Amino acid sequence: MEATNTQMKTVVYDDSIVRAFSIITVVWGIVAFLVGVIVAAQLSFWQANLGLEWTSFGRLRQLHTNAAIFAFVGNGMFAGIYYSTQRLLKTRMANDMLSWANFWGWQLVIVGAAITYPLGLTQSKEYAELIWPLDILVVVVWVIFAVNFFWTLAKRNEKNLYVAIWFYISTIVTIAVLYIVNNLQIPTSLTHSYPIFGGVQDALVQWWYGHNAVAFFLTTPPLGLMYYFMIKAANRPVYSYRLSVVHFWSLIFLYIWAGPHHLLYTSLPDWAQTLGMIFSVMLWAPSWGGMLNGLLTLRGAWDKLRTDPVIKFFVVAVTFYGMSTFEGPLLSIKSVSALGHYTDWIIGHVHGGALGWNGFMTFGILYWMWPRLYGTKLYSNKLAETHFWIATIGILMYVVSMWVSGVSQGLFWRALDAEGFLKYPDFIEGLTNSLAMYHTRLFGGVLFLGSAFLLPYNMIMTARQGAPATVSVQVPARKPAGDQESAWALLTSAPMLFIVGILALAIWFGASGTMLSPIILALLIVVSVGAIISYGLHQKRWGHWYGLIERHALVFTVLALVAILIGGAVEIIPTVIQSNRVPRVITDEMIADDPALAETAKWMQQPYSPLELAGRDVYVSEGCYVCHSQQIRPFRHEVLRYGDYSRMEESLLDHPFQWGSKRTGLDLARVGGKYDNLWHYLHLMDPRSTSPASNMPTYPHFKRKTVDAAVTRHRMEVLRRLNVPYTDEEIASAEADFASQGQLIADDLAGKDVNIAPDSQMAAVIAYLQRLGRGPQPVSAVPVTAGK
Amino acid sequence: MSEHQANKHDNRAAYQQDTVMDHEFDGIQEFDNRLPNWWLWLMYGSIVFALFYWIVFHTLELRKLPREQFEEVMAEAQEIQLAKMMEAGVDNDFFVAMADTPDKVAEGREIFVKHCVACHLDQGQGLVGPNLTDGNWIHGCEPMDLFKTVSDGVAAKGMPAWQNQLGPTRVMSVVSYVMTIKNTNVSGKAPEGEPCQF
Repeated sequence: MEATNTQMKTVVYDDSIVRAFSIITVVWGIVAFLVGVIVAAQLSFWQANLGLEWTSFGRLRQLHTNAAIFAFVGNGMFAGIYYSTQRLLKTRMANDMLSWANFWGWQLVIVGAAITYPLGLTQSKEYAELIWPLDILVVVVWVIFAVNFFWTLAKRNEKNLYVAIWFYISTIVTIAVLYIVNNLQIPTSLTHSYPIFGGVQDALVQWWYGHNAVAFFLTTPPLGLMYYFMIKAANRPVYSYRLSVVHFWSLIFLYIWAGPHHLLYTSLPDWAQTLGMIFSVMLWAPSWGGMLNGLLTLRGAWDKLRTDPVIKFFVVAVTFYGMSTFEGPLLSIKSVSALGHYTDWIIGHVHGGALGWNGFMTFGILYWMWPRLYGTKLYSNKLAETHFWIATIGILMYVVSMWVSGVSQGLFWRALDAEGFLKYPDFIEGLTNSLAMYHTRLFGGVLFLGSAFLLPYNMIMTARQGAPATVSVQVPARKPAGDQESAWALLTSAPMLFIVGILALAIWFGASGTMLSPIILALLIVVSVGAIISYGLHQKRWGHWYGLIERHALVFTVLALVAILIGGAVEIIPTVIQSNRVPRVITDEMIADDPALAETAKWMQQPYSPLELAGRDVYVSEGCYVCHSQQIRPFRHEVLRYGDYSRMEESLLDHPFQWGSKRTGLDLARVGGKYDNLWHYLHLMDPRSTSPASNMPTYPHFKRKTVDAAVTRHRMEVLRRLNVPYTDEEIASAEADFASQGQLIADDLAGKDVNIAPDSQMAAVIAYLQRLGRGPQPVSAVPVTAGK
Repeated sequence: MSEHQANKHDNRAAYQQDTVMDHEFDGIQEFDNRLPNWWLWLMYGSIVFALFYWIVFHTLELRKLPREQFEEVMAEAQEIQLAKMMEAGVDNDFFVAMADTPDKVAEGREIFVKHCVACHLDQGQGLVGPNLTDGNWIHGCEPMDLFKTVSDGVAAKGMPAWQNQLGPTRVMSVVSYVMTIKNTNVSGKAPEGEPCQF
């Protein structure tokens, strides 16, 4: 810039889009916290479900998680990315119209979510519950964002890409891949669809997505933002560039493998479970790399911690990040997961991340950026301090109460008496035991929500004392030379070959048997040592090579894409192939040919009857999976409580899978036949009538609302295309079977002085619940002959 | 550290703690400090652990995977349980004696209140399940029949099998309690099954 013979031009940044994203972040943030407080209240006091179908916990919980992730953190991310990208690339965003399409499109998605979830329109896949038309809208908006971003990258007036930009790039490509694959589905109507994956496949794909939504929506964007906003606020050089390089690439490569740690001890194949665990453990150091680079940057600036509320928010955010990324690997160790999974511990874990890391990061960014957007100082540091302290206390109350509650639930469920039987056979005792902690959590949540109102007040007052600022920068008229190296030369350089060799050998080693593996392991060690020696000898050349990649946006993006594809491919493709090989219908002749199939046949799921399927769709739509798992783990205490542990074959035909991730209520995998129809009727109408301490919502609308036989028949046809073995006869008689099974249940209840319509949701849900964990049930008074 | 002495390798000699790199982004500068050693060891250690774990469980299969471990645990527990039942010598007389033991009956009442009243109501007068206070029983007249009904359940009528969830000792107590409320004739569900004497 100092060169006098270079012609300069002026670039004006587009900050109006940043202002818009900032405002909407606060609005949605408060909505997300408010809904959070409501659902927390519902767990404390069941009456807070209000007895309305639209406001029950199962429906509102997804509104809360989606609002927090996509509306609050998402809009905050857009605000921060639009602000920092322009400055780090010294150019205005490529196209203002695309920016605004990004803004309005994203808000449309959120409004769509806020309308559809309370109506019970959901796919039931956690953090991907949106129905298919909204999924398409998300993809369109994301593509608009990507085009705008990469176009800006191409227009940049800066040779190299700063580490923040690396994180943004990995976010954009990975979220696109995850979102599209996890939402592959076949619509049955404008508002309903079935995912193309079923059972174990659906579970693996969903948690590959679910875990990496945390990774690439809640971790990599805030890390990128940290590298801009926290460094700016500290006004100190970043601690270590090479730490950035090492932790960025190891983080994005390793993260994608860790999804199966959500499925430990389930019927997912053991090798995939182990991969999920060991990659989570390896993720510990790379995650802490980000925290270190943030905290060590503050060396020499710690005095600001006392005076600057922005630094306070950032430091606590990064500390929570460090805590969550230690807790994550810990919870991924199989024996720890055995205790913590399905309990409130996980709820505490995610809120440490969401409120502490994401929330405080977003607050810090807004407090730092907002006054600059209005060319003024923050209206009140004192109010920001107050916000900080109240919110911190709120988070601590939240997280600690959930730790206590979660660990006690885990201990409580597994406790056996001296004779080896359940010490606490009554599940509800565990819930009653947690109530005090639920109230504490609610109070912590109220503190966090209440303090959040100080933010918009401070923002409004700040805006009023300033005026929207126009920021510009002088850049050379000619673009700096970048992207000039041959992509091929970069990709075939020695460092790249070493990396590819090490990864290929490591994967080959994992897949090889006892005989071959020592040889491959030896090779792996030789190549790794070779790489270390080569790096030691040619450190400068390696550094130069990375510098070239860093300024070659296309090569960089492709490498990031490849890095995140490997883990998913290695886990998902074999699981899908393996489970697709399991025949869905097993005849006696097949068993005669291959006796090993007898065991598969014993467990193989058979398709639901039409009424059961309709009931299942109601179950999915109500979000029952939010509190009830359908996956019994191979532990003595679970088998005593719920019945034999779940096998892979038992849910292969389930589109979507309903294994669940949390047990506020009991596991339902084998609830069929455990109680009679009247019990289920009474329990659904008022759970307190059968288990007095229950906090489950009431479902009186099941009695009022009906299910449709023709719709169900159409859905059976769609499922058949997804490899669910419905026969022609079954589809032809769908409507008749639907009616007669409904009549059976209605007649049974009528005999006990309860009247329901045979086509009510009640009849359908009872039919579904009675089928769980069992083979086909009679669909008419005339006994069905076996032979499916 | 910043006074790190030059050694044979040029690149090492070039290293200086807190040296600002020659690029900057919107005013942000970067050092290129060495990675903290403890952090590097954490990373190497976790990679070695991962390899080791995989080798032990999957390559060499030295340790049992969860489902195999589970089978072992269950088999052991089953043996212990069988031995205890043999020792206790459970038969009709055993239950008659137990129903005469107030402590056991009181224990049984507690369990009954927790688990049975949803269907049989507080006094055993019946709602979803039959009235337990009349003189009739449905699934056999002997205490051992009642023990079997509570243990294994009656799937067709919605009576759950309590054996696993409660364990045999608790089931025995609750049977002894139910024996004591027979013939107390609380008004409720009409009698079902056969009149019984024992």
